[in-house]
Order: sequence, then C-alpha cells, then structure tokens
Amino acid sequence: MRYVHALPASLEPPRQMGAPAFADVVAEHLDPVYRYLVYLTGDRTAAEDLAAETFEKAFRTWRRFDPRRGAPRTWLCRIAHSAAVDWFRAEARRQRREDAYARDAAEVEESVFADGLSPALEHALRTLTPAEREVVALRVLLELDGPAAARVLGISATAVSTRLGRALKRLEEEMADVGV
Amino acid sequence: MSAFEIGAGRLEELLRGQEPRTQAEVRQVALFAELRGGALHAPDALRSRVLASAPAARRSFALRRPPRRLVLVAVPLALAAAVAAAVVHGIVGSGSGRADRAALQANLRLPRSVGKHAAAEASAPKALHGGGSSSSNGDFSTAASGSLEQSLNDKLTPVGPIPSTNRLVHADARLSVQEDSASALSSATSRATQIVGSLGGYSQSVQYSTAHDGSASAFLDLRVPVGSVQKAVNRLSGLGALLNEQTSTQDLEQQLTQQTNQIIGLRRTIAAYEQALQDPSLPAAQRVILQVRLSNARRSLTQIRRSRSGTISSAATADVSLTLTTKHGAAAIRQKRGRLGRMFHGAVGFLGIEGIVVLYALVVLSPFIVLGGLGWALWRERRRREERRLLAA
Repeated sequence: MRYVHALPASLEPPRQMGAPAFADVVAEHLDPVYRYLVYLTGDRTAAEDLAAETFEKAFRTWRRFDPRRGAPRTWLCRIAHSAAVDWFRAEARRQRREDAYARDAAEVEESVFADGLSPALEHALRTLTPAEREVVALRVLLELDGPAAARVLGISATAVSTRLGRALKRLEEEMADVGV
Repeated sequence: MSAFEIGAGRLEELLRGQEPRTQAEVRQVALFAELRGGALHAPDALRSRVLASAPAARRSFALRRPPRRLVLVAVPLALAAAVAAAVVHGIVGSGSGRADRAALQANLRLPRSVGKHAAAEASAPKALHGGGSSSSNGDFSTAASGSLEQSLNDKLTPVGPIPSTNRLVHADARLSVQEDSASALSSATSRATQIVGSLGGYSQSVQYSTAHDGSASAFLDLRVPVGSVQKAVNRLSGLGALLNEQTSTQDLEQQLTQQTNQIIGLRRTIAAYEQALQDPSLPAAQRVILQVRLSNARRSLTQIRRSRSGTISSAATADVSLTLTTKHGAAAIRQKRGRLGRMFHGAVGFLGIEGIVVLYALVVLSPFIVLGGLGWALWRERRRREERRLLAA
C-alpha cells in the first residue's frame, strides 16, 4: 500500500532547473525515509518525529537542493542521518541524567522494524548496532548504491561495503542462534 | 559461508538483483527479500504533520539567505570594486599631460620678456599672490648640451616658481642630473660648487661615491642667495641630462609678521612690569611675582628675536639639493606614454597596492585563520568520533 497525497500548490516552493516539486518528493520518499529512521533508531515514535523534522529541514533548504549533485533520496537520508545523530546525542545525555533509562516500549513491541518480519529477523535486527542497521537500511531497503550510501554516512564506499558485510554476517549469525 | 565471506563485489551484484549461485548466496538473497518485504509505511499522522509543517518552514525560509550564494556574489563584487577603484585612480592620475608639458616647454623655451608673467602665473600663483607654499615638479629627460646650458643661462625663464622680491620667501629646489661618465660627474661636481660660489652661495655638504661597476653619484647640499636661485637652478640643470626637478617656495611673510607682533607685545609688557617695579609702595610679595614675570618675558623676547632672525636668514638663502649620477638605475623617467598608457600604468600600480594591502591583511589574519581552521577540524573530528560511538552502541 502506498500513500500518495497531493500537496496544495501553495506548499510548493519555486522549483529550480530539473528539480522535482517538493510535493512529489514527499509523496515518493516519506516512506523510505521513515523506514530508514526506524531501522536507525529502532524506535517508531522517534522515527516519526525525526521524519517530520527531516522534511521540515528539507523544505527549508529545498531551494539549495541541486539534483545534479545527488538524488533526492540521498539528500533526504543525509538530513535524516544528521537529525538522528542529534537525537542519539540527546538520548545519551538523557540516559546519563536518568539512572533508570530503558526503551522498554520499543523492547516489548512485537514488531519495530516492519510488519511481517519473522521474529528471528526482528530479534536479529535488534541486536545490531544502529550503525549496522543503518547501512542495511540504506543498501538493502532503500537500495542506495555504495557511493550514495557513503555520502549519507560520511565515510568511504569501501567502508560502507565492509560495514554492510559485517552487519549481514551478524544478522545471519543472530538468526542462526535463534534457530532459523 | 556467510555474507562476509561472499565478497564485496559479489554482494554488490546480489544487491543489484543477480541470480544467486551458491547456497550462501541463496540465503543472502532470501534475507534481502524478507527485509524488503516487511511492510512499513509512514503513518497518516506523520504525513499530515509533514504537510502541516511545510508552510511554517517556508515562512522561516524567507528570512534566510544561503551563505554560499552570498559569497558567490560578494567575492566578484569586491573584485569588481577593486578593479573599478584602480581604473578610476588611473584615469584621475593620468591627467591631460598636454598642459603639463606645455607649461614646462613654455618655461624652458620662452624668452624672459615674453614668458615671465605667463610662466609665473601658471606655475607659482600662490607664492606670488597669496602666500603659503607652492611647488612644481618636472620629470623629463633632456640631453643637455653645452649650448643648451648657455641658452638656459642667458635666455630661459626658471622652471620652478620664482621667489618674489617684495615678500619674504623661502625657496627650495631639488635637481637630479645624469652624467655620461664618472669623470664627467667629478667635473660637474666641481663645476656646481663653482657656480654656487660665483652666485654668492656656498656648498653646505658634498657627498661623492663610486661603485665597482664604474657608476658614481654625488649629492650636493647647496645654499644660494634667494635672488640668485633661479640663475643657479638654470645653470645647475645644464650640467648634464636633467632627470628630475622639484622647486618649492614657502611664504614667510605671515610668520615674520606674527613674530614682530609678539616682540612688540612683549616689549610693552616688559615696560609695564619695569614701571610697576619702580613703585616703592609695592608689597614685597607682589614685587617678587612681578620680577619673575619680567624675567620670563625677557627670556621669551630673546627667543622670539632669535626665531625672527632665523626666519629672515631662512628667507635670505635658498636650499638647493643637487644629485649627480651616472647610474642607469636612475634613468630619466620618460613621459613618452600616452594618456591611455599612463592610465593603465596608474591602474596597475593601484592594483598592486591593493594586492599588497590584501597580502598584508592575509599575513596578519593567517594565524587566526589557521587556528580557526584547526579548531573547526578538531571539533568536526570530535563530532564524528562521538557519532561513531553513539551509533556503535
């Protein structure tokens, strides 16, 4: 199922040469960006907030977006990554302040990362670090190529490849431990 | 065999949708399919929230200006302003050239009877009519032969302003003359001393130096009676090829009047003090005070009298600085460029000055820029490490 909402014309900033309308970008990329953020944070509520923040930032800087320098998805993921890192930073500060900190709501939730995943895969994804889940989301779910994922993560394409290999290996190992 | 052992290249191929060949690859592709098959869509509430936040974001966007664009506009604007300033400087500095040359030629060629008033009005209006100081500057290359020297001595009007005989004026002249050889320079030095002596003046100082390459130079500091300064300048400029000439006059009339008035005032004051001191009924304390004041007034009178004598003697003689040289480095500054050439030359010179200023600013600011850049790089590296640590937890 795909949600396609048409933005009112007033919400569309003047588009530059070759750039799609922002309404089209929202319609096309909200789901992938949201999924990416869910994988990265492991928290759907946080992912919603971050997705909203991402698109708000994207709208503010929409005039600066240059389609020749990268696809809208890569650009949005880069904004989302930055927003998520800030969220992690804030969470870490909060964790330091509060003694009894736990994301219990996320832990007890049956399916965090997607509906329809096997429990083993869901469990295995939870055991991965955010960085590992992030690279899986970018390369496998969002199907970004190596250089695009490297731009989002701020690392080299080789490092992306290495990180992806390790993440998939861990994923397989965790799933094997559960008994798949 | 796990994903890590499949190999990066092969993993890329599987991600692009190629068919699996091994059992491990089949498992890997199945994992991809399961991950991609999981249904996860942005909730309607989120979609509404995104749409609702867009107009607010748009309002704040209007207040922002992309800094990169500002830089892209500001840098060319600054460069254009610098070039425009240089061009304006070049245009203003180039002058007409014709008027200067005409005045110079008039001064050099017109007989005294014809050119006296015109040349004097053109070159030294202030010195003749209004007091204050004036100067004229002529840079040219003239091969002065013996006949020219004679001609200058006999017929020509002076190049610079003529000191008036009616007013008290101090004259100053600077000449640069090039000689063909060191021996010619030596004889020109002697000749210059003789010229000045014959006009009632004297040489304050003479410095003569020679270099290994055969070039030589002499610097003569001459004193000439004011009445003979124009004659002296004419004769000295004919000692060789005239490279440069500067003459200036300073009106001392006002200064002398001031000093005279001060002397008169002090004399009256002293007379008043002396008269008061003759009074026998004057209290002792006041007598002492008056005596001190009288003493001070007398001292001031002596100083001002001395200054006035200095002013008068300064007006009596003119300072003439003569530079004789054989060096090619001091070659004549030729005025062969057209107005366009002078403008271009001036503009290039001004751009050079601008470049020096920018370079100087960069030299001064570079430590701060380097420190700032270093700080920024350290801060960024720290953020990256923190980010890696946060995402690896």
